[in-house]
Amino acid sequence: MANSYIISGFGQGSQADLEDLLDENTILVQRTLRSGQSIHYNGNVVVLGDINPGAEIAATGNIIVMGALRGVVHAGAGGDENAVVMAFHLQPTQLRIANHITRPPDNEAVDPNHPEMARIKDGVVTIESFQTGGERQGKVT
Amino acid sequence: MGEIIVVTSGKGGVGKTTSTANIGTGLATLGHKVALIDTDIGLRNLDVVLGLENRIVFDIVDVVNGSCRLRQALIRDKRLEGLHLLPAAQTKDKTAVNPDQMRELCAELKKEFDYVIIDCPAGIEQGFRNAIAGAEKAVVVTTPEVSAVRDADRIIGLLEAADLREPKLIINRIRPKMVRQGEMMSIEDIIDILAVDLLGIIPEDEMIVITTNRGEAVVLDQNSRSGQAYRNIVRRILGEDVPIINLDEEDGFFKKLKRIIGIK
Repeated sequence: MANSYIISGFGQGSQADLEDLLDENTILVQRTLRSGQSIHYNGNVVVLGDINPGAEIAATGNIIVMGALRGVVHAGAGGDENAVVMAFHLQPTQLRIANHITRPPDNEAVDPNHPEMARIKDGVVTIESFQTGGERQGKVT
Repeated sequence: MGEIIVVTSGKGGVGKTTSTANIGTGLATLGHKVALIDTDIGLRNLDVVLGLENRIVFDIVDVVNGSCRLRQALIRDKRLEGLHLLPAAQTKDKTAVNPDQMRELCAELKKEFDYVIIDCPAGIEQGFRNAIAGAEKAVVVTTPEVSAVRDADRIIGLLEAADLREPKLIINRIRPKMVRQGEMMSIEDIIDILAVDLLGIIPEDEMIVITTNRGEAVVLDQNSRSGQAYRNIVRRILGEDVPIINLDEEDGFFKKLKRIIGIK
């Protein structure tokens, strides 16, 4: 079942590169994680729901939450500094990537209403608006 | 060498966690080194009430498993130098810790802290047995409700069976007006049934809700009645002789004025 996908329309030669991007080691969690529930997974985790305070996800890969992320997440739990955390509403109790641990500042209540992504940039966990296409790739500006 | 006190009640929602947080904070403001232990594994709250939830990396289960050292799991309070929290695990259950491990843990903390205060879970099952295992003294919290008093009585019996004699009582959420009208059990009624020493009474107070939701302790609020009540409790724990506040006299300025000019 390893090759049960089709990639086309990218032109000759790019086939191999694109296959590198494919990763079958991803789970889709179609529910909200409530306090006390946790997921530990060797790969990427995508959640169609919220992560409530007191819930926890640890993944060796990336974590994507199609909802509000209010609990504790640990992306790149195996030490992968390239792992990212993305959420429609990024308000984690604590956010960890690889061996970095961060928490929101005590007295600043920021509550942006757009998707955000956290990743390690120059050795620091950085949160930025999630933008698609060229902007995200750094081609604009 | 410190003192190990467990705060328990049997019934849920009577104010164990609030009392633990406030007594601990109160002791720490007076310069004592305090460690709070949350033993409510799976339903932890003490970290939230203290506003320290986002600092948790390791918890009590990690400590007893040997996944981390005790020092790594202790969280220092954001305001008070001397106050520390050992948080419970949220994704495990009560069986993750046993009474022997608790005894060992308490003995370890006792060496370093003046006071070790254990927040007990509701119920009388393993969580309760874990919480009382390492304790030397007990504080029982109740409210002026028949059900809470009944559970407190059961708990006092269990504490005595575990050789924790002479527990002290906190009566929480008293409404003086209702007591006066005979609609609520009075302090005397409760003492009469439970026959234990009173450590203090806490009046019903909105400030408790406000401060708890903010992750602060009401004991730091100089103006609230409940804060004053907790400060008195702290002084009594330290051995001072502080009279129990007379709730009748503290009903606000207008009531007092009315009483003075003789309306009622």
